[in-house]
Amino acid sequence: MVDITLRVNGATRTGSPEARKTLADFLRDDLNLTGTHIGCEHGVCGACTVIVDGRAVRSCLMLAVQAAGSEVTTIEGLAPDGGLGTLQQAMWDSHSFQCGFCTPGFVMQAAAFLGDHPDADEQQIREALSGNICRCTGYQSIIDGVLLAAERNREQ
Amino acid sequence: MTAIAAERYTGASIKRAEDPRILTGAGRYVDDIKLPGMLHAAFARSPLAHARVLSVDVSPARALPGVVAVLTGADLEAMTVPGPDALMALMGWAGPTPEFTLLATDKVRFVGDPVAIVVAESRYIAEDGCELVEVEYDDLPPVVSAAFALDPSSPPLFANLGDNIARPHSRSEFGDVWSTFANADRIVDFHIDVHRHQNVPMEGRGCVASYDADRGVMTVYAATQSVHVSRIAVAMRLGIEPDKVRVVAGDIGGSFGLKIGASREELAAAAASRLVGRPVKWVEDRTENLSASGQAREESFDVRAAVSNDGDLLGLDVKMVIDTGSYPGMGTMVPAIMEAMLPGPYRLAALGFESTAAITNKASYVAYRGPWASETFVRERVLDLIAKDLGLDPVEIRLRNVAPRTDPPAVMITGRPLVGVTSKESLERVAQLVDFPAFRRRQAEARAQGRYLGIGVATFIEAAPGPRSPEGPSGPMGTESMRLRLEEDGIVALFTGQMPHGQSHQTTLAQIAADEFGVPFEQVRVVVGDSDVVPFGLTGGSRSATMTGGVALHGARQLKVKVLDFAAHLMEANAQDLLITDGNVWVRGDPASAIAVSEVARRAASGQFGADVDAKLEVEATFDGGEGGWSGGTHCAIVEVDVETGIVKVERYVAAEDCGALINPAVVEGQIRGGIAQGIGAVLLERSAYGEDGSFQSATFMDYLMPTTCDVPRIEIEHLETVPLDADVNFRGVGEGGMIVAPPTVVNAIEDALSPFGVRIYEQHLPPARILELIAAADPGQ
Repeated sequence: MVDITLRVNGATRTGSPEARKTLADFLRDDLNLTGTHIGCEHGVCGACTVIVDGRAVRSCLMLAVQAAGSEVTTIEGLAPDGGLGTLQQAMWDSHSFQCGFCTPGFVMQAAAFLGDHPDADEQQIREALSGNICRCTGYQSIIDGVLLAAERNREQ
Repeated sequence: MTAIAAERYTGASIKRAEDPRILTGAGRYVDDIKLPGMLHAAFARSPLAHARVLSVDVSPARALPGVVAVLTGADLEAMTVPGPDALMALMGWAGPTPEFTLLATDKVRFVGDPVAIVVAESRYIAEDGCELVEVEYDDLPPVVSAAFALDPSSPPLFANLGDNIARPHSRSEFGDVWSTFANADRIVDFHIDVHRHQNVPMEGRGCVASYDADRGVMTVYAATQSVHVSRIAVAMRLGIEPDKVRVVAGDIGGSFGLKIGASREELAAAAASRLVGRPVKWVEDRTENLSASGQAREESFDVRAAVSNDGDLLGLDVKMVIDTGSYPGMGTMVPAIMEAMLPGPYRLAALGFESTAAITNKASYVAYRGPWASETFVRERVLDLIAKDLGLDPVEIRLRNVAPRTDPPAVMITGRPLVGVTSKESLERVAQLVDFPAFRRRQAEARAQGRYLGIGVATFIEAAPGPRSPEGPSGPMGTESMRLRLEEDGIVALFTGQMPHGQSHQTTLAQIAADEFGVPFEQVRVVVGDSDVVPFGLTGGSRSATMTGGVALHGARQLKVKVLDFAAHLMEANAQDLLITDGNVWVRGDPASAIAVSEVARRAASGQFGADVDAKLEVEATFDGGEGGWSGGTHCAIVEVDVETGIVKVERYVAAEDCGALINPAVVEGQIRGGIAQGIGAVLLERSAYGEDGSFQSATFMDYLMPTTCDVPRIEIEHLETVPLDADVNFRGVGEGGMIVAPPTVVNAIEDALSPFGVRIYEQHLPPARILELIAAADPGQ
């Protein structure tokens, strides 16, 4: 067990995970933040994406101990009070998702990308999300949601 | 939530009720469940395709700190009731029934076959324990191909069968096959292969089983397409009275046919929970999902087609072999559906159909979105191959052969009437949407520059629900039940056995009931996923639009009658003079009389009425499918093939679909696009790959390639709503069509792109390496 302290969704959290425990499992098991989903455990599907120190990270490929001292944002902390932020609202309006399992990963990946690329076009968004797998939608509705969010962000 | 203003919810793209929880991480999937004292299970699995199990030594694993129990196949056999696969038993399968043990006992039959279950304080420790399970194997020759399985010299996987045949060879003939072929201008022969690929929901299988020894009650939190089918399987296999098994499901991360009922691993986890007296969670990882959850397709077809010189497809004679993998289930039942569906919407005069199902050392064949889809692949491929021989355009040959809409409707040579089938209309609509002459000009210009574009079309019909059976009292999918109740807070609660896993039932069923009953959308709650409170049901077979949409409509209508009868007593009015709008009951012409339905429900619950007043504001409704009808459509793809790299890019994709009246267009389009994406993936990327020794070669997402944002184009969808058949319920299923018709659509386009090379395609999986092989092997003289 290794004692760690990190900030998660704006709050200081401590824990004593095994050194081998992934950040994904630590968030889900130790902190009860089950919004982060585990889809492949080998870094391909992107379902477990969270934001660590401003960058989208696959929490299945990072150990919890590596996140010590970091600032982590999960889907639960994306918008205040569990409400919907601009991106989530745009995705709701666009019927972006179906089963919802890949959703947290897509939302976090898109949030990180839009933060850095507010003027991204469809092709850039497609490339930025090409490391996240959705089995239900054929992606168009997800892309439309991100485009709508970018447009709304620019209007604000 | 903001109130939604709409004249009618049904037919509008109402935003999903599911989304606020899903978008904030508040969804509750099976792996999110934590119970006090909960243990975690992992399975030690076979690394070999086919071997005798000589010994299993679990003592080192049991000795590992944190391991609570390790159970072998023999242990599980002693703890459970023997029997066949529950789904096959439920569907009344009467053919060969192999031994079906929860864990391997004397033999392992595929790479990934579970040999022991390790139950521990964490999944990490359970996996450590699996590493310590020592199994001594004696290799047996692997039976990796269906061809070898059907060879009498192949070693039988199951001793109680004696051979590797899961469904004995049978032949059916419809129409006069002999004379149709004898009198045809041309007879053409093909061998067509469809490769093994699989569902791959983003959430794998899983459960948390929790046995309460004091009450003798087993509760299973499951990811399942039917809480009741799971409940029956658990009860049968564990020998518990069915009323003492409760299956509960929350959000489910996709399935596409995979999660019908309880799998072997889930039953083993339940048995383990009963043994150790603590809850046991098992959630499969991706390697388990890819190697052991199940796989689909892998069928081969020897096809003879009788054709006229003008391009009439007169008859087909098809010999099919299906590879059911190691533990036969769904694969034994698919051939009969293919036989019935093979004529499609076309005027075939004769069909001969033979099938055999073979048992092999691969993961078991499971249902995958449109399990019978290969009949459409074969037929739509054959039509293009014939069209090429005769110099006909692909739309032209289909329009020539498709049955026109007549009264009474044409009947498929296999027996079902083509009620409301609009294949002709969808073909014509696609031809309008995609300017074929303009494409041919562009194609010629591109070819002059060394670029290879191709166009493909394919047509399908889907029995969702299908035509009403003339001889039966009920419709084509049996009946669907629903309980509806007006709650004291004014909520109209619908209790359904549907178990949504992406289909948006909590939105679509609420739309229908809100309209019919007269309350705002937000005032309807769709209750799913608890076998103690929902009626029997199953989400699958694209049945929910018609069957559950229909029972929601009729049930809400019946509940409204009951509520109005009671309100009439309360308001001292005639029920015929009462209306319900916007959640209020009022006397026609007197808006001031309005009282909220919640008030009506509270008064009913007060019990202050005599026996002559029916104050129970609840109904049990059933629906038999009404007049039924087919879904269907025509898809068109334009692709570009890079003949240097073999990479295929889908440039444009158009779908003209008829699923009758749309409940929620955005939901319908999501179903269509998702199915098409899976079809594109099946052709260009996905394959469940086995080596000649039965080794499994696609156990990660680096080997099993899934379509991404860069592989699936924008999809243009046109809805035809051509033929209303029923007075009330004209919603038809749309879940499977995309996956059924996209593979032939894309393959037809690829063959068209490669026509300058003389390439002819008789298979479905066309990754870049295969495209290059086809070009290299082609005869440009063709």
